[in-house]
Order: sequence, then C-alpha cells, then structure tokens
Amino acid sequence: MIEPLLFLWPSFLVAVCLVGIHAYFGIQVLARKVIFVDLALAQIAALGATVAFMLGHPAQSPATYGYSLSFTLLAAVLLAFTRSWGTRVPQEALIGVIYVVAAAAAILLIDRAPQGAEHLKQILTGNILTSGFNEIAVIVPLYAAVGVLHWLLRHRMTGTGALIWEFVFYASFGVVVTSSVTIAGVLLVFSFLIIPAAIGVMFASTLANQLAIGWIVGTFTSAVGLAASFAFDLPTGAAMVCAFGVALAVAGLLYPFLRGNRQIAWRVMITAARWTGATILAGSALQLAVTPRADQPLIDLIEYAVPSLRTLYFTRAELTTFVDASEYAERYRNEAEQLNDVERRNRTEGAALDDFSVARISSFLKSYGEMRKGEQFVMGEVRARARERIRWGASLGLLAFALLVAPVPWRRLWVRAKR
Amino acid sequence: MASRFALIVACLALASPGYAEDRIQVVTTTTDLRSLTEAVGGERVAAVSLVPANMDAEDYQPKPQDVLRLKNARLLVRVGLDYDLWVDRPLAQVGRTEIRRGGPAYVDASFGIAVLELRGMSVGPSDGHAHGSGNPHYWLDPKNAEIITGTLLEALARIDPTNAAAYETNRQVFLTRLNAKLAEWETKLAPLQGMPIVAYHNSWPYFARRFRLDFVGFIETKPGVPPSPSHLAGIVKTMRERNVRIVVREPQEPERDVAFVASKTGAFVVKLAASVGALPRTDDYIALFDANVEALTSAAAKQ
Repeated sequence: MIEPLLFLWPSFLVAVCLVGIHAYFGIQVLARKVIFVDLALAQIAALGATVAFMLGHPAQSPATYGYSLSFTLLAAVLLAFTRSWGTRVPQEALIGVIYVVAAAAAILLIDRAPQGAEHLKQILTGNILTSGFNEIAVIVPLYAAVGVLHWLLRHRMTGTGALIWEFVFYASFGVVVTSSVTIAGVLLVFSFLIIPAAIGVMFASTLANQLAIGWIVGTFTSAVGLAASFAFDLPTGAAMVCAFGVALAVAGLLYPFLRGNRQIAWRVMITAARWTGATILAGSALQLAVTPRADQPLIDLIEYAVPSLRTLYFTRAELTTFVDASEYAERYRNEAEQLNDVERRNRTEGAALDDFSVARISSFLKSYGEMRKGEQFVMGEVRARARERIRWGASLGLLAFALLVAPVPWRRLWVRAKR
Repeated sequence: MASRFALIVACLALASPGYAEDRIQVVTTTTDLRSLTEAVGGERVAAVSLVPANMDAEDYQPKPQDVLRLKNARLLVRVGLDYDLWVDRPLAQVGRTEIRRGGPAYVDASFGIAVLELRGMSVGPSDGHAHGSGNPHYWLDPKNAEIITGTLLEALARIDPTNAAAYETNRQVFLTRLNAKLAEWETKLAPLQGMPIVAYHNSWPYFARRFRLDFVGFIETKPGVPPSPSHLAGIVKTMRERNVRIVVREPQEPERDVAFVASKTGAFVVKLAASVGALPRTDDYIALFDANVEALTSAAAKQ
C-alpha cells in the first residue's frame, strides 16, 4: 500500500498545481467562449518546441522553452486581435484553424527526424507519471506569479476591455500552457482546464465559489485517475482524462437533482434509460435475425458473464464440442507458453540450445498457434450454428422484451384502439 | 584544373540515371535489409530503403516517393512477421504482381528464420507483446544474416541469373568477414553474460540469445503503449532486486521514461541501435554490431 503512494505522490502534487491554475483559466475561457484556445496555444507551443528540437536543442532545455514561449506569444497577439477583427467568422473557427495548421506544420517539420513520431505523441499524451519535484520547482513560482498578476488586474480581465488586456490574458495563458503541456500533454491539460471549470460554473455563480468547486473536484478526480491507473495497470495520462470525463458526466447527471425539479429529473432519467434499453434490445434482435453469424455484442456480453446461458440453446453435442475445443485451445496456449519460457530461460541459463533446436521450438510454436486457431474456429462455428438455429425465436423474444421496456403508453393506446 | 573537371564529370556520370539503370533497383523496407542486399549484390545492385535511417520502421507512414520507388523496383525485400505491414498499401497501389506476395521479385526475408516468441495470435489480451507472429527483430542475431543473405542470393540469382556466381562470391566474402567479427563480438560480450539488463522495447531476444544476455524486463508493456505506473513500479522493483545496472534505449524511444527508471535505480542508460544508421557509426550491418557491442562493453566497464 505504501509503495504505490510513494510512487504516485509526486505526480499527484504536479496534478494539483496544474489544476490550481487551469481551473481559474478554464473559468475565464468558458466566459470568453474560446474553449479550444488552449489546444491552439498548446499546439503552437509544441510547434516552437519542434523547431527547437530540429535545431538540435534537447527537449527540456531553456532554449526549447524560449522557442515555445516566443511562438506562443506571437499566437497570443494573433488571438487578441481575432476578437476585435469583426468578420462574420466566429473566433472559435480561427482558433480551430490555428490548432490544425500548427499541428500539421509540426508533422511536416518532424517527419524526417529521429524520435519524430515519439515527439509528436509526447505532445499529445505528455508524461505526468515521470514528473516530480523538478517540475514543481519551476511551475509553482511561475503559476504563483501569473496568479498574482491576474488578481491585480482582476477588473481588467473581463474579456471586454482594451486590446492590451486581451493580449495580457492570452500571453499569460500561453506561458502557463507552454509549461503545462510539456508535463501533462495536450489531452490532459485540456481536461484540467475545462472540466473542473465547467463543474464549478455549473454549481456556483461567483468566481470564488466556482474556483473552490473546481479545485476540489479537480484534485479529487486527479487522485482517482492516478489510483485507477495504478490499480488497473493503465497509461496514466489517458486514465486521468477518462476520470475527468466521468467526473463531468456524474456532475451533469446530478445537476438536475440538486438544482432542478427532482421529480421531473427522475422521470426524464427513467424514460431515457428505458428508451436506451429498448433501443439496445431491439438492435440486438435485428442483428441476430439479419446476421446471426456476426458478432452479437449483447448476447456475447451476457454469455461472458453467465457462461451457463449456452446450455439454454446449445444441443448436448454442441456443448461437448464447444467445451472440448476451448479446453484444447487453452492447453495449446499453455504448451506454447511453456516452450517460450524454456527458450527464454535458455538464453542465459544452462548450455545454449543449438540453432536446430531453436528452429524446432519455433516450428512447434507455430503449430501450436495454428492448432489453437483451429480450436477457436471450431468454437466460433459451433456457436454460430446454434445461433442460426434459434435466430427467429430469440430475436422475436428480444423484440417483445424491447417493447416491454420501451416507455410506450400501452394502456392509453389500447383504450384509444378500442374506441 | 583539368583533372578536377574530369573528376566532376565522372561523378556526375556515376550519379546519372543512365548508370543507375544498369544496376538492379532493389527496394527494401529497412536499412538493415538494404545493407545485407548490398553485401550480396555488391556493385550490381542499387538498393534503397523505404524507411530512412533512424526512423521507427514499425510505425512508418509511406510517402508518395515510396510508391514511385516501388514502381521502378526489380526486387522488393521486406522484414515480414507483421513488422512492416505498412508496405502492403503502397504495394497494392502500385499493382505490380511480380513484387507482391508470391511474385518472383517479392522477398520476405524472414523465410527460414527460427522465429522466437511466437504467440500465434496477432493481438491477445494475455500476451505482453503484440508481435503475435513472432518477434520480428531477427536481424539482430548476426547468425541469422547467413539465412537472410541466402534468401537474398536466391532471389537475385532468379532475376539476374547471369551474375549468380558473382553474388555467390560476394555472399561468401561477407559471411567470412561476419563470422570473424562474430567471434570477436562474442569474446567482447562474454563478461556481460547473465548480467541483467532492462530495455524500453523488446527488440533484443535474438541478440540476447546469440550473446547470452539477460533482458529481465521491458519498460513499455506493448509496442507503442506507454507504461502504466504499476508496471513502472514493478520494473524499478525488479531492477533493485536484481541489481540491474544497464537500461537500453533506442534513439527513437522516449527519453523520459528511461531516464526516470535509470535515475530511480542508479543504472546507466545505454543507447543501442536496432537498425543500420540509427546511430552515428552504424552505417552498415557489421558496423551496427560493432557500435552496439562497443556501447555495451564500455557501459559494463564503467561500474
């Protein structure tokens, strides 16, 4: 229990710092309705880093940071202008274009470089897991400075003031994003920015309350994401982004219960759930009737959870064949694993196998693979035939069940039909 | 002055398409196969690799130029074993049957190789490696070069029978040189036998088998999947328990994960090239092993 904590808590501290500044900027961004501005700025920063990288500067050097920052500041000028440019094209469209062009330009630049693909992926997913006190030492003073600046200028940062204040906003935002994207990647930074802020805006109306809610939700969700990534052996950045997505979904679901009419909320939720269930059932019925041999996600899922369901529609002979085949497939897999293990251990232990023995092991492995595939084919075939046999009955049953689940006012329809 | 002019003219003549057309145009997917093709073909072939040196061949995106190269190819040499699946699309686009699977000018260099770590399924939830049709990094065993050059010799003799004897001689010369070098590498790496090593990507089973090295863990769980925290913690634990002093990184692999693991355990990071040209001084197949052996022995000597 101690070990995961020791391993994760530097990343957690980094996440808390990032949530701290991004929740604030997120509220500002939501108010200005420039949701994707951070993606654009992040991508511009990444383009700057790519240029530095192409010029031979190492990834985490001051020179690289300088290039990123100057690119971002240029973009900030551009963004500040787009608000007052006053064409009929919305600002969000221009932000999107900046993002796409910066991303494409980075691909063009990096295409011929070693580590190029890796560099681009790094921009997207970041590396919060391996970040720690080195990063905290840089971002804490930086974010504190930006925070103080914004507090001092709090009456100017309304999004409606003079152009210079818009520039200050985008420039300071760019400074923050430039540093955070190198740590956490574009995807995670976007989640830090938008989701705590959105939840805050959902449940509070003053900036202070929105920030408080955003910080609490962001910190808690980061902890959950990190823990899930450790417990379920998942890539950290992606796990955290999904945790934030779940947080927003939960907040969205809770909102009508906490802020709206509870009865109406229940009614809407139950109706939606029933329609969803009915649609899934009817779709599965149709899928089974039309293409019984194709994947049946619903039936497969239920069979996976309750394997004894097969006894309901397999004949005795089919069941025996199916079980046999699955046992053989497992046996072949085990045999192959053992051979692989023998070969791997022999690389360093005992006398070296000669090339002929290695070739023999290799061809055995190939045969086991083929045999296992054969057994799996048998399993699939048996199941497909059994499903073909029951397709009409079962799909009618599913359809009837779908009609039962669907929130159709049967009684009223019945009465009207009788009249 | 006149001699310099003559030299320039000669260079231009050598570089001109007229001269190039005399040579057999061979397209390989990777630089390793290009180097081996050159070893067998000698002056008579002009081999070009689709993946530039120092790019990840498992994750390559074909360029328009590649289609052109395939159009003019007399021979196509690929790694196979699902390593260079990306070449199938441009091949289909070019539509020449002779360089497609089963055609006389199509060479799958994995033919006849004793493949390691076969798992039979291309993607399975249980296996830790997505190379289901076996680990494809087979050229990293110098002994396998004997089989690969054999396959290449057969293919070149098939499309250019008049020069078959010359190809045969080239191959023998190359193999003699390679075997002498192999003995040298084996002596140099002997002190590293059984020494535990961690790598980022599982590129090294063939190399490990030949030189009896012990790769005890890999930082990524599957190709292209970043490590999860529990996996990374497990690697750090293994490294501390088994006192791993060397972490191997290829130049195109992420620096941070490797540096993180190394800093947690005080191990050295050794940059190895899994392909010809991935690092400086790895310009051909033999130089590739020279550089890797050198890097490993000097890292082992540091402790």
